[in-house]
Amino acid sequence: MANVELRNLTKVWDQVTAVDSINLEIRDGEFLAVLGPSGCGKSTTLFMLAGVYLPSGGDILFDGARVNDVEARSRNVGIVFQSYALYPNMNVLQNIMFPLRFQETRDAPAQAREMAELVQVGELLERRPSQLSGGQQQRVALARALVKQPNLLLLDEPLSNLDATLRLTMRAEIRRITRELAVTTILVTHDQLEATTMADRVVCMNVGRIEQTGTAEDLYLRPDTLFVAGFIGSPPINLIRLENRQRALLDVPDVAETVGIRPEMLQSAETGLPVTVTTVEPMGRETLITADSNLGPLRFLEATSRPKWSAGDKLHVSFRPQDTIVFDGAGQRVPDLHAAIG
Amino acid sequence: MAVAKTQADWELLARRSRRDRRIKHGLLIAFLTLVTIPVIVPFFWVFVISISARTGGVESEVLWRACAILVPTVFAYGVAHTVFRNTRQRIYSALILVLLAIAGLAITVGDDLHLYNYRFMVNPNLVEELRGAATAGGQFPWIWVAFVNSLIVASTSMALKVTVATLAGYYLSRFAFRGRSQFLQGLLILEVFHPWMLTIPIFLVIFWIGLLNTLAGPILVLTAIDLPFFIFIMKGFFDAVPWDIEMSAMTDGASRRQAFRTVVLPQVRGGIIAIAVLGFIKGWEEYVFVTALRTGNSYWVMSTYLYYVAEDVMGVDYGVVAAVSVIYIIPSLVLYLFCQKFLTQLTLGGVKG
Repeated sequence: MANVELRNLTKVWDQVTAVDSINLEIRDGEFLAVLGPSGCGKSTTLFMLAGVYLPSGGDILFDGARVNDVEARSRNVGIVFQSYALYPNMNVLQNIMFPLRFQETRDAPAQAREMAELVQVGELLERRPSQLSGGQQQRVALARALVKQPNLLLLDEPLSNLDATLRLTMRAEIRRITRELAVTTILVTHDQLEATTMADRVVCMNVGRIEQTGTAEDLYLRPDTLFVAGFIGSPPINLIRLENRQRALLDVPDVAETVGIRPEMLQSAETGLPVTVTTVEPMGRETLITADSNLGPLRFLEATSRPKWSAGDKLHVSFRPQDTIVFDGAGQRVPDLHAAIG
Repeated sequence: MAVAKTQADWELLARRSRRDRRIKHGLLIAFLTLVTIPVIVPFFWVFVISISARTGGVESEVLWRACAILVPTVFAYGVAHTVFRNTRQRIYSALILVLLAIAGLAITVGDDLHLYNYRFMVNPNLVEELRGAATAGGQFPWIWVAFVNSLIVASTSMALKVTVATLAGYYLSRFAFRGRSQFLQGLLILEVFHPWMLTIPIFLVIFWIGLLNTLAGPILVLTAIDLPFFIFIMKGFFDAVPWDIEMSAMTDGASRRQAFRTVVLPQVRGGIIAIAVLGFIKGWEEYVFVTALRTGNSYWVMSTYLYYVAEDVMGVDYGVVAAVSVIYIIPSLVLYLFCQKFLTQLTLGGVKG
């Protein structure tokens, strides 16, 4: 259990900067998610924390002590890989006991068994990894990462190889286990749902930089940058670029270059912006409607499973000014400024 | 009515398909048996000669008589295998046929069989016994000397090949270094040249470093010849072991060497066994370099032993030649039979996940 700090951490591969001078502090016992598209440097950051990659610059501190030059095996970090990376030549018990081989442990099998019980694979100890389902392999990988009571647990896209329902269960399971053991955890994922449901705090990364750090709510309601606004949320936010035409229709401050409105913040109304429906997509509980307007195409949600509209219908949509997010020319959010239908 | 008609049709179809399957199965067994005969018969003939030849000449009569018993037995079993469906019946029919065949062989050729051709195994002075001491001057060894020398050549070169190929294959698979791709291309180019083309330079090199007329000469040469290909094979096997697993072992507390030994090596076991078997057999049957790298009779291995037994100008005893051949084949054959599974993996080019 440790407090982890990254100071100006940088990784350069042959001219390509994978991680660009990031600063981050992870508190003891915190569950932090690093969220970003593929190639944003999140896994590289994770492997630098594990000690598998050496940083090109900057420092990694565990409880205030610089660990840059400490080998992976001495950092006491547990890691769960996307592929689980179970050792195929060993059975489940041997897999879980593997990290204990390298420590002075008094009762390795008992500890391994206890951990297997915690992740609920107690009945599978004699099996080989190839005889396990994806979810079971996942649990074994988790047990193996946790058995040595690591300072830090790293999860590299741990759920992306599981099917949808299992992912839901494992999300809750991982949360339960990490909470029970109060281990500092960093989850790397490209799935925003995973990040926002599991983590105390989410770090959103893009092209090697941290775009925003905050709670799931911060990222959703108050995205710092255009990238975060666009990356978080499904269906994605409406981003309206303000050319002269759009400016004439809206009441917006001069600094604004782009206005964002979440699809669920737009409602059909008696008055407001006239739109023409182009597609109607029932999504179960809600219906996603895409419509053309003078502001460009807009997406909005109708809270009904039976759509009222069909393609070609003309209607009006409106929104509350406080639900809009205003971005300046550099793609940064301008706080406390909003847009309204003019 | 319609229902009844349909049911009748199903039964007919099922019966027809069962019959067709049996015919196909039977034909397949017959075909495989036929194509196996040209492969099996020469080996069988050598074996028959070794236990039946008396005068030193080749006699095919025993072979034909044995075949007259064995061929019908094999075909009879083929029929039994096709007709009987359950395993127990098949085993019983096989046992009965084997007993019948043994009885048949005992009656037809039993009197002609003897082990006199194998006397070289217990008699250290075979040549002197055959032609008197003058012929070989006592230089021709007991077969077990050659056998042990062959074992030394085969197993030492095998151990060297496996060790170097495994370590080099791992390094080539895992580490990026300047000239890596050129090195790999170089390995392949070496395969283009037949090693026999290099016999004279190799002879000179071995002569200059003073290993002529020692077993170390052929051991080193054989190792060098096989290494490029074996390194390539092992690189392929290591490529198939995911990085994740190694990184995982290292974060679990293993050093790189421990990770290699405990996690990576077990996964390339198939490759190691395959190159070990190939490497051993290559050393076991080597003739060219063991002959080229000795100037007199400084050492004997099985291939040179067999050559001298077969090349005797005073008149060849084919019975003895056949018996030596049988002894010579056995180790390769046993090894091959037990490790066949791993050798076929080679063509798959790596481990399956």
